[in-house]
Amino acid sequence: MKQTLTQSMAWLHTWGGLLFGWLLFAIFLTGSLAVFDQEIDHWMQPEIQQTSVSNAQAVEHAVAYLQRQHADASAWNISLPSERMPALRVTAGDRRSGISTYLDPLTGEPLVVRDTAGGTFFFRFHYSLSMPRNPGIWIVGLAAMAMLVALISGIIIHKKFFKEFFTFRPNKGQRSWLDAHNASAVLLLPFHLMITYTGLLIFALIYMPAALDSLYKGDFAAFYREHIDVMEEPHQAPTHPAPLTALAPLLAQAEARMGPLSGVVIEHPGRSDAHIEMRRVLGNRIALTKGHNMVFDGVTGELLAGPPELRPSVLAQRVMFGLHFAQFGGYPMRWLYFVCGLLSSAMIATGLVLFTVKRRRKYASESPLGQQLYRLVESLNVATIAGLVVACIGLLWLNRLLPVELAQRAGWEVRGFFALWLLSVLHAWLRPRLQAWREQLSLAAVLCLGLPLLSVFSDGQAWGDSMRLWLEVTVVALGLLLAWSVWRLHQPQVQHSERRVRHAQAQVN
Amino acid sequence: MMTAFLGSLLLAYSSMLALCQGLERHYKQVWGRAPTLGLRRVLRLAGWLLLIASLWASAQAWGWAMGPVGWLGLLSLSGLLLAWLLPYTPRLAVYWPLAGLPVWGAAYLLAI
Repeated sequence: MKQTLTQSMAWLHTWGGLLFGWLLFAIFLTGSLAVFDQEIDHWMQPEIQQTSVSNAQAVEHAVAYLQRQHADASAWNISLPSERMPALRVTAGDRRSGISTYLDPLTGEPLVVRDTAGGTFFFRFHYSLSMPRNPGIWIVGLAAMAMLVALISGIIIHKKFFKEFFTFRPNKGQRSWLDAHNASAVLLLPFHLMITYTGLLIFALIYMPAALDSLYKGDFAAFYREHIDVMEEPHQAPTHPAPLTALAPLLAQAEARMGPLSGVVIEHPGRSDAHIEMRRVLGNRIALTKGHNMVFDGVTGELLAGPPELRPSVLAQRVMFGLHFAQFGGYPMRWLYFVCGLLSSAMIATGLVLFTVKRRRKYASESPLGQQLYRLVESLNVATIAGLVVACIGLLWLNRLLPVELAQRAGWEVRGFFALWLLSVLHAWLRPRLQAWREQLSLAAVLCLGLPLLSVFSDGQAWGDSMRLWLEVTVVALGLLLAWSVWRLHQPQVQHSERRVRHAQAQVN
Repeated sequence: MMTAFLGSLLLAYSSMLALCQGLERHYKQVWGRAPTLGLRRVLRLAGWLLLIASLWASAQAWGWAMGPVGWLGLLSLSGLLLAWLLPYTPRLAVYWPLAGLPVWGAAYLLAI
């Protein structure tokens, strides 16, 4: 192929971008929402109030409850109320599969809280597409590689990188879509490169297991224990009942060393081999400190281990995880990540739309199969971009509309999410292109703008606390943006003279 | 923290604005006439200095580890805001940071 580098990179960027663009839009949009996963969780559990109790008090209530109800569980897990998650939650048994109860932090009595998919659903969808863990992770990884390819090829083919750094020419049809795609891509390039690369790194040991296989025979648990885990080897001696030590001084000690705490895990409570693990809130530093906790003896209160000092290689890895997880820097940083993520999603969307805008004029000269394929691309654009937005805001609506006592409520919320998305795919295929865009974006705008009203009528206490208020204000702002886009779609479309059209098509960049 | 954050934001936008106005096509877009070479150089120099100031302010808000990360985010968003405002309201794109100064001043006085 006697092509220049620019021509082959342009081909790669166009077709790689198209094939993976829909998937990447979904990953970036749900990833942006996942930045506020705990805040969305909180909104979707209106039974929980924001309170301010000290950690010591919360732990006292939690232990008292666990003592009453689950005295002989193998482990107790206490999730402490924090700035982002005001709930006090206890789990008896394994943290993921044990029996969980929410407690009122003030009285210590159990709360009845609706079962919900929560904002955590967006987080899970973001890295596994709600598929079984391994296939999902592999597909997302493939999409991330495609994103890197699209970014690098995009840089190579963008000839006027610095000249058109700030260039945006609206109301010029295809030129404007290209400008929007270029501007949002180039100006956010540090973010795009960082988020894609660090995202790939998180599951690097799954994609490239050679080091793990050769050094640890593929045993990830052994690797983790050697480098990150703080637990000592368990007792071999027989155990007998022993009272649990006072927790308040241990809490104070852990807080002094590690900053705000997110939870306490008590293994073998009430026995002589009891261990108490203090877990810290993530975000004191960029490095992701998940699992880097302090462990105390449960009977004597003596510090057994932690927090671990990280070797440079592990620290480097953890910093890169941390850059992706965005738990550091407080709310200002979190908002920066959120807005950048939404703009990245928009960047991908402009690319997808640009593909169809460029080819729209050539429809008549295409073969019937070609025309059908372009029709498919157009409707997939609507279904992925507008349809996914409808499904996401729809999840919040379902959270309030589904009956609280419904069994497997969380599962029904997720089913509703996918049902909405599927309906939007069908709608996009059946309706003419412009109507499909207008109708789906209008629905999304209405659902967003109506969220505060839904909150009042479903809950009786609209903007009951500041976190829910912030969420609703943000959703309304996004709804206004969607409404503006619908208004734009009702404006007369830009008409071009034939000469201008040919000139525009000649420009790749 | 908010003082340093808002300061970094305003400085980031101003730096992007200065660098942008240092380009002939964008200076013409706002003011209707071509800039002299000297003015372009001054604007570009100012732009780079404001960029560094913005990084410093960001480090005041977040420390020197997280500061650069937040700084890059603020730069990108400022640049995008500028690129979006220029074709629609060029004068507003240039002058709104002046309105941002009182807000920064309030944050400074309230010491948040």
